[in-house]
Amino acid sequence: MIEQLDAIHQDAQAAIEDACDEAALEEFRIRFLGKKGALTQAASGMRNVSKEDKPAVGQKLNEVRQALTGFVEARTAELLALKDAEAAKGIDVTLPGRRPQQAALHPLTQVMHRGISALRQMGFTLATGPEVETEFHCFDALNTPEDHPARNEKDTFYFADGHLLRTHTSSVQVRTMETTKPPVRIIAPGSAYRRDEIDSTHLSVFSQMEGLYVAEDVSLGDLKGTLERLFRAIFGPKTPVRFRPHFFPFTEPSFEIDIKLQPKGQEPRWIEIAGCGMVDPNVFRQICESRGDDVYDPDKVTGFAFGLGLERLAMIMWGIPDIRLLIENDQRFLRQFASA
Amino acid sequence: MNTSLNWLQDHIDLSDYSTDALSDLLTFAGIEVEGIQARGAGVDHVVVGQVKSSEPHPGADRLSVCQVDDGSGSLRQIVCGAKNYKVDDKVPVALPGAVLPGDFKIKEGKLRGVVSNGMMCSGRELQLSDDHEGLLILKTDAATGTPIGELFESDTLLELEITPNRPDCLSHLGIARELAALAKRPLKGVAHHGESSVTQQPAKADEITLEATEACPFYTARRITGVKVGPSPDWMKSKLEAIGLRPINNIVDITNYVLFEMGQPLHAFDVAKLDGGIRVRLASEGEKFLALDGNEYALETDDLVIADQSKAVAIGGVMGGEDSGVTEGTTDVLLESAYFTPSHIRRTSRRLDLSSDSSYRFERGIDPAQTVGASELATKLILEIAGGEAEDVLLVAGEVPAPPAPVTLDHGRAQRLLGTDLSEAEMGEILTGLGLESQAQGAWNVPTFRGDLERHVDLVEEIARVYGIDKIPAREVAFFAEPSKEDARYDAYHQLRQRLVAFGYDDCLTIKLISDAQLADDLCSLRLGKQNQAVPLKKPLSQDHTTLRPSVVPGLLDVAERNIRHGAKSLKFFEIGTVFSKHEKSPNVLESQQLGILLSGDTTNPSWHGDAPEADIYDLIGLCEALFGGGKQAVSMRRLEQESLLVAAEILLGKSVIGRLGQVHPARTREMDCEGPLYVAEIDLAKAIKPSLAAEPVAGLPKFPAITRDIALEVPLDMENAEVANFLSKQNDVLLVGFEMFDLFADPSGEKLPADRKSLAYTLTYRSSDRTLKSEEVDKAHAKVLAALPKLGDVKQR
Repeated sequence: MIEQLDAIHQDAQAAIEDACDEAALEEFRIRFLGKKGALTQAASGMRNVSKEDKPAVGQKLNEVRQALTGFVEARTAELLALKDAEAAKGIDVTLPGRRPQQAALHPLTQVMHRGISALRQMGFTLATGPEVETEFHCFDALNTPEDHPARNEKDTFYFADGHLLRTHTSSVQVRTMETTKPPVRIIAPGSAYRRDEIDSTHLSVFSQMEGLYVAEDVSLGDLKGTLERLFRAIFGPKTPVRFRPHFFPFTEPSFEIDIKLQPKGQEPRWIEIAGCGMVDPNVFRQICESRGDDVYDPDKVTGFAFGLGLERLAMIMWGIPDIRLLIENDQRFLRQFASA
Repeated sequence: MNTSLNWLQDHIDLSDYSTDALSDLLTFAGIEVEGIQARGAGVDHVVVGQVKSSEPHPGADRLSVCQVDDGSGSLRQIVCGAKNYKVDDKVPVALPGAVLPGDFKIKEGKLRGVVSNGMMCSGRELQLSDDHEGLLILKTDAATGTPIGELFESDTLLELEITPNRPDCLSHLGIARELAALAKRPLKGVAHHGESSVTQQPAKADEITLEATEACPFYTARRITGVKVGPSPDWMKSKLEAIGLRPINNIVDITNYVLFEMGQPLHAFDVAKLDGGIRVRLASEGEKFLALDGNEYALETDDLVIADQSKAVAIGGVMGGEDSGVTEGTTDVLLESAYFTPSHIRRTSRRLDLSSDSSYRFERGIDPAQTVGASELATKLILEIAGGEAEDVLLVAGEVPAPPAPVTLDHGRAQRLLGTDLSEAEMGEILTGLGLESQAQGAWNVPTFRGDLERHVDLVEEIARVYGIDKIPAREVAFFAEPSKEDARYDAYHQLRQRLVAFGYDDCLTIKLISDAQLADDLCSLRLGKQNQAVPLKKPLSQDHTTLRPSVVPGLLDVAERNIRHGAKSLKFFEIGTVFSKHEKSPNVLESQQLGILLSGDTTNPSWHGDAPEADIYDLIGLCEALFGGGKQAVSMRRLEQESLLVAAEILLGKSVIGRLGQVHPARTREMDCEGPLYVAEIDLAKAIKPSLAAEPVAGLPKFPAITRDIALEVPLDMENAEVANFLSKQNDVLLVGFEMFDLFADPSGEKLPADRKSLAYTLTYRSSDRTLKSEEVDKAHAKVLAALPKLGDVKQR
């Protein structure tokens, strides 16, 4: 019996060398370890072994079984290792990857979002109003005299019924004050319309962002603080910001805001970026009249307002050479903003 | 306004200011310096030359070959294109090595094969004037070889933007006055501006009749006889040329000079061409007027004219007439100086689309108190320069408008509005510097030239301007703010944008005005329906932009077309924005926010690994399901017939229609050179998204496993999935918790399945919330579903 087991061990040792794939290995397992395999059959001879020989033969049987099982395990591990190596063969990590389609938020969406985020952090909330407006909300309530240059069919789109396409988002100031008591602190991004021929620097439909803060004792200092913050949030914390006196019908005093930037390959220079000012008392008077109360009495409240052109902001921010790129939506242009 | 620094220095000493410092001083006072030009700044290597001969160029009709004496002793050959010179004229000659303004380098060379050693220059090429009609002809006594810088005084030209509230700055004296206040220094006295000494005599009816006092409150005329019209003296010519005006003759030049000196427009009539006295009246119905710009204007009864007894001789304050102006032969002139009402001039100027230096000033409001003084100054200059004799009285009609009312400054309120602790005395000093006079109890008298200062806040503005906003401390204070509805809406839409971008769709913004052709395209009616109309503009700017868009689809199709033209293979675009429509029975324009999506071509990036799958309608349906089906209500589709779409569906969220989608008809996409099918969707965001701050509760994970059973149904080829889905969702067995369609099979050859039939397969999911189901329980529930199948109609289980 011992000899028989040794012979099986020797046979197996030779046979395992030939088991060079999974099928051969399975064949080997069946031949030696299967139900009718050599070892199983040899084991069935145990019952004929004498009592005194049993421990020795039993130990031998175990040794051989362990050895054979060890052959199978070792061989299996070898074959798997080969298969894994095979699977990695031919992979060239320097080949181009399979990229997901990468799209972008429009640059105007992005610049608007930056402005909105910065102003919301300062306690402003969003407000909105219609783009088809009345003359009252677009002009009269904003202290714009009837014979003001903007108020004619050459510069403004009118409709047959006297309505017009708002020429600025400032009309939202009026709408908000009509329906909300002070204090108000709002921003209103949106489209505005002017009868300008479209060229490299003009659009007939463009985007603005309006801001308004009205409360007791709002001062020019508040206006400065807010707008300096805003432009530093958009263009970087060290951006120089300056205010130049100017004239707008709906604010007094009025200012234009410049920021100092260094366009690529150029000297740093001041770039005009927004208009602002303290709300003109005449605007408050119109609101009082329209509301029928005196919560916006200019002797009680003061405020500031500002407006900025988002196309201009985007053009400055990314050095966009032609405003029309912003309405053409060419993939090759838009995709550049995927990681902006 | 073009402003000459030399001219300003007649009134104020600015020699200690550099151009940049002066520019800053003006800019921070609200007068923007839009440009600075150095004039006549001695360009090196440009000398006086004399043309000795001029022969036609052998190879070019328009050119001449000149021999020029440049003072060096030998003649210089220069090829020249100008025609305005004669042999022996003296002209500026730029020698090789000169660098003209604009970095134009002069070199020796050949022009059309002929040697040319330099260039003869125009006034503009040397920035001495705006004249570019030919060579600058120099005075005959200029010595050849003299550097040109010695002949022309250098000057700096400032282009100033004067805001409409500051007409007082539309003259050199006005700017000097402003600078005096800013730089805190006195104005120089100017010899010509004496105290007005002429006697004002109310005009008789046959001299001036003032019929339109509302449009013209005050009118004066001075008669000067025996003048000799001729060229102006050099000092005046060079002043006018410096600011870009072309000298005409001494009388006209003097009126222009006074206008730019004092801001008072004047007009000189040739007395010989007037028929009797002046009538200041409104135009009569249908009156025509030939202005000196050569155009004929049709006037209305609101327009003011200056007329003689038979005809209009000027549109008051705007422009004189072709037939009544001063010419070479004029000997007697009538000099008009008047105050016209701003709104009146503005209306006329705007309606006639006719603007002049005069109307520009009148419509903004001139200083009414200087009318007489300006007339005096012009009279003095005429007598000095053109000779003649002035009548010893000034004829006047009407009354000088009242000076501005005093304005009160409330010191505390001014401090609060500015956010500064500037003292009352400091504020007072600023106002005094600007020409205001302090009265009792904080009241200030406003000078006649500052009609814009009417209210408290106007004085505060002056203080802010002169004090300097840079000195006002920035304050950073905020208060807690309740988010508005608009905040919630913005956040929801922005999140939608970001999700679409993450799905590979580009965020587009197209113009909100579309053309009639785009409107006629049936795709617009995707949204409009029958009772709604688009909103046309009254006066479109161009045929491309006639109507407010009723849909975002036309804009997206344009985007697709443009990108196809540039070779794009994968078109995935969206736009979120306002659209406009009008119900046929209501005048109100309705504005709503729409999401438009466009899809065509490859759904993945090109790769070496294999071809990208082409988009089909299920990509777009799936996108809509993913975007809007995340909440309680499911997104589903309902077939729709639409002419412009080959296949179309309504998009439902629960039971409400939120939008439409479909494949644009190939007849249309072929026009766009679009090779494959192109799909669009348009979704009404107010219906699709209800922004809310409240969080939706979520379900926990099931505790017990689910058991699934698949069924395959053979149904008629035209039966929609929706019918089966509807049937399955109506099975109210509590254990049936869901189903999902997983296979569609049809065999047009009829071998495996009749050709008019198809197979739809579904996985049904059974689960109990309180126990692990036994197989028999599921079998029983499933058998109930199978037993109900005949209700679905012509259906067989496979």
